[in-house]
Amino acid sequence: MRNSEPESPVSSITERLPSSDAQAPLTQLFESLRPDLLRFAQWLARDRAIAEDIVQESLLRAWRSRDALKDPAAARAWLLTIVRREHARLYERKRLELVSLDDIVEAQPGPRLAEPDGDLFTLRHAIMRLPLEYREPLVLQILGGFSTEEIAQELALSSTAVLTRLFRARNKLRVICGMAAAPDVPGASEAAS
Amino acid sequence: MTCEEVRLLIGAEPAFTGTGLEQHLHSCPACRRFREEMRALDANIRRALQRPPELVRRIRTPPPAIWRQWTLAASVILATLAVLLLWVLRPTDTLAREVVAHVQREPESWLEGQQVTAQDIESALSGAGVQLNITSDKVTYAQSCWFRGHWVPHLVVQTARGPATIMILRHEQVNARRAFSEAGMSGVIVPATDGSMAVLARGAGDIDGVARALQQDVRWLPGGH
Repeated sequence: MRNSEPESPVSSITERLPSSDAQAPLTQLFESLRPDLLRFAQWLARDRAIAEDIVQESLLRAWRSRDALKDPAAARAWLLTIVRREHARLYERKRLELVSLDDIVEAQPGPRLAEPDGDLFTLRHAIMRLPLEYREPLVLQILGGFSTEEIAQELALSSTAVLTRLFRARNKLRVICGMAAAPDVPGASEAAS
Repeated sequence: MTCEEVRLLIGAEPAFTGTGLEQHLHSCPACRRFREEMRALDANIRRALQRPPELVRRIRTPPPAIWRQWTLAASVILATLAVLLLWVLRPTDTLAREVVAHVQREPESWLEGQQVTAQDIESALSGAGVQLNITSDKVTYAQSCWFRGHWVPHLVVQTARGPATIMILRHEQVNARRAFSEAGMSGVIVPATDGSMAVLARGAGDIDGVARALQQDVRWLPGGH
């Protein structure tokens, strides 16, 4: 359920499930990763309210499956994967309701958030406008830190297909930034692995 | 590796390094430049992604209420009517504008209070091909003025509502009465037997009354052109 002021997913968990002392570090770990998860979800969903729903639902799922997390050092990648799948589920479930770019614009940065150059704003806007098939692997790679093989596995694509999508994503941004487009990669397969 | 393979790899993973890639770059300046560009771009992409997109929903303008639509429509109609009124009252053509301009150039014509003589009137009418059956005690100004290539009579007559200017324009044809208002003057140009006549007054002078009287008082002489 989307609220105007959604409660913290982590708080929600702790309220519903009394945590023992042994679980407190995991709760804190989840909470510390929440900003990362939210930023990641926002770049996927392009809507803050939807992203917050996704993150909250993802943290609940993660909490229920917390026994699967053997190494806390892998928590970030694990949670990002859950967020991506939750977004994909939402995308499938509410395909027709997802945000149209016609309805949203990126807010102009205010004085406090003023960026040193307008190019970065243009680039952010261009990334936002990338189709999901290009935006998703790019965000997974750069924000998530996933390798090509990991992205391929997550997206059920071949490594070549992921390379092609990443190449095309950057090529589109390259043009937006005023550089000449590199020749496209002919015949690159995007077949599922 | 071929340039195509190298560029695919660089485009997908600008930070990637490998023996085969480095060997190719060593001998291919174009691909080397491509990597430099893509690495610079990638640094900016990383910076751009560090902040979540600050998206705002574009506010859809609600459809205006019915009364607003009617108000808007009424405003448009009123504005259209105002423009039409101004258009109707404007100097209808160059002739009207030039009549106004001519009168403005002779402001003393309005100020004369002394009656002109019959000879003055006759002199003003000379060469215009008209005779004027008007008593000289109404006329306070009578000149023959050069106007649009011809000498035309320029008279000022005193009426109950103040002075009115008459210009007898034998060489200017108009098809119908044309009223205009400009520079604080109202005027009318009416077709006549041969040519036309312009009557102007300041403010709300009785221009149509003068014009009607003038139709009776002017006699057009044959061959006056």
